[in-house]
Amino acid sequence: MTKKISLGVAGQKKMYTAFLIAAVILFVLTSVYTNFNPMTLVKNGDAFWSFITEDFLPPALPKASRIPGVLSSVLVTLALALSATTIAAIFAFFIALFGSEKVSPFPKFAKVVRGFATFLRNIPALVWAFILFSSLGIGTGVGFAALFITSLAFMVRAFVETMEDVSQDCVESLLAVGASFPQRVSQAILPSCLNGFLSWFLYCIEVNIRASTIVGMVGGGGVGLTLFTYIKGFQYDVALSIILLIAAMVIVVDRITGRLRKEISK
Amino acid sequence: MAEILKFENVSKHYSNGVHALEHVNFTVNEGEFISVIGPSGSGKSTILRSINKLISITDGHIYLDGVSVSQQKGKNLRELRRKVGMIFQNYNLVYSLSVIQNVLHGCLGYMNGVKGVCGLYSEEDKKKALALLEELGMESFANNRASDLSGGQKQRVGIARAIMQEPKLLLCDEPIASLDPSSAKTIMDLLRSMTSKRGIACIVNLHQLDVAVKYSTRIIGLSKGEIVFDGAPEALTDERIERIYGTSRENLMIGASAND
Ligand SMILES: Nc1ncnc2c1ncn2[C@@H]1O[C@H](COP(=O)(O)OP(=O)(O)OP(=O)(O)O)[C@@H](O)[C@H]1O
Ligand SMILES: [Mg+2]
Repeated sequence: MTKKISLGVAGQKKMYTAFLIAAVILFVLTSVYTNFNPMTLVKNGDAFWSFITEDFLPPALPKASRIPGVLSSVLVTLALALSATTIAAIFAFFIALFGSEKVSPFPKFAKVVRGFATFLRNIPALVWAFILFSSLGIGTGVGFAALFITSLAFMVRAFVETMEDVSQDCVESLLAVGASFPQRVSQAILPSCLNGFLSWFLYCIEVNIRASTIVGMVGGGGVGLTLFTYIKGFQYDVALSIILLIAAMVIVVDRITGRLRKEISK
Repeated sequence: MAEILKFENVSKHYSNGVHALEHVNFTVNEGEFISVIGPSGSGKSTILRSINKLISITDGHIYLDGVSVSQQKGKNLRELRRKVGMIFQNYNLVYSLSVIQNVLHGCLGYMNGVKGVCGLYSEEDKKKALALLEELGMESFANNRASDLSGGQKQRVGIARAIMQEPKLLLCDEPIASLDPSSAKTIMDLLRSMTSKRGIACIVNLHQLDVAVKYSTRIIGLSKGEIVFDGAPEALTDERIERIYGTSRENLMIGASAND
C-alpha cells in the first residue's frame, strides 16, 4: 500500500495540537492559582439550583405603581448610551483627524494623539465610573462622562484606522489640487470614510447599551440602578423580570444597529 | 517660448539613505510634451512629486513660473499647487462622490472659506466641468458614482479634474500603467490634444518606450537619479537607450511584450 495523501495545509495540524496543549496547561495553572475547583460547581449545584428555582423563578412584576418608574429607567439607560456615543463620535472625528500621519497637518503629533486614546481606552468604563463617582458623586451626568471617555477613545482609534485604510490616495490628489486642510477633510476624507465611521458608531452604541446598564448599577442611574435596588432588597423574582427586560432592550438595539450596518455596507 | 519650470542642481536624498535624484538640471517651456523614462527606481516619481512639493528636495532649487518651490508654505504653496495639475496611476478619485463632484475638486484651490469646505461651487464652474466632461466623452456619466467607472473612464475624470485647475503644467505619473492598450491609447491621445490646445506644458512618466517616442516632443532619460538623456525622440538611439536602461532595446521590447 502507498502512503495516504495528506490534504491539510502543512504544519496546520501541529499548530492546532500546540494550541490545545497550551490551553489545557493554562487552565490547570490558573485553576491552581485562583483555587478554583470545578467540583465546587457540582457540589454546590443543589444550592445554586434551589436559589434559581425558589428565589428567581417565576419572574414577578414590580408593584403596579413602580412600573412607569422601571420603564422610564430603561429609557434613561438608552438615552445615556445614545447621547454619550453620539457626542463622543463628533469629538472623536475631529480628534482622529490629528491622529493619522497621512491626514493630520501636524504629523509629528499623530503618535501622541493615538497613544493618549489608547491609554484612555484601555481603562474600562466601569473603572472610569468608579473614579468619577468617587470624585464627583453619583448621578447620570457622571455615568455619561464615564461612557463618553471610553467611547471617545475607542472611536478615535477606529476612525484613525478607517481613514488610513480608505482616503490616502484621494487626500494626496486634493493636496496636489491646492485644497486646504478643511477642504481635504470635507471633500475627500468625510465622503470616503463616512460609511466606515457610521458602522463603528453603531457598533459603539451596541457596546454602550450594555456598558451603560453596568455603569448604572454602580451609581449612574437608569435600569442598572433599578435592578441593583431590587437585588439588594432580596426581591429576586422582580429582578429577574428586569433582567429579561434588559435582555430584550439589548436584543432590540442589536437588531436595529445590525440592520443599519448591513444597509450601510451595501 | 516662456519658461515654466526650471530644475537647478536638484538632489533628493531620502532619510533611509537612498539618493533618488543627483544634480538634476533641466527647463520646461510652454507647450512642451515631455516624457520621463527610466528603469524602476530611477527617480521618475520623485522628480514629479518634488515639483508640487508633495516631496521636499534636499538640495538645489526648483522654480515654477519663476517662483522657488521649496520656500513656499501655507497659502502661497496652495496657490502654487493649483497651477500644477496632477494625474495618478491609480486615478486617486473620491469614489463615493459623483463624477462631476470629482471634476469640481479642481476648483478647490481657488475657493476659500465655507464655500470650498461645503462644496458650494458656482454655476459657472459647474458649466465648465460639464463642458470638460463632454470634451472627454464623459458627459453622460456626470452624475454617476466615480466608483462605478472603468479604469479608462476614471482616468478621464482625473484629466478633467486636472484641467479644471487651469494649470500651466500637467504632471502625469504613469497615467496608463493600469490600463489596457486601447484605453491607454485614448488617454495618451487625450492628454496630448487637451494640453496642446490649451498651451499647457506636460510631463509624463512612462514605462513604455514606444509610447514615449510616439507622443513626446522631448524625452528625458533617467538612470539612478541622474539625467543621462535629454533631447528629441529622434535622437534616442539604441546606444542611448542602453545607457538609460542598462540593457538593449531588444531586451526591453521582449520584456514589454512579456509583461502585457
Ligand atoms: N518615501 C521614500 N522613502 C525612502 N525611499 C524612497 C521613497 N520613495 C522612493 N524612494 C526610493 O527612491 C528611489 C526612486 O524612487 P522613485 O519612486 O522616484 O522611482 P521611479 O522611477 O518612480 O520608479 P517606478 O518606475 O518603479 O515608479 C527608489 O530607489 C526608491 O526606493
Ligand atoms: Mg514611480
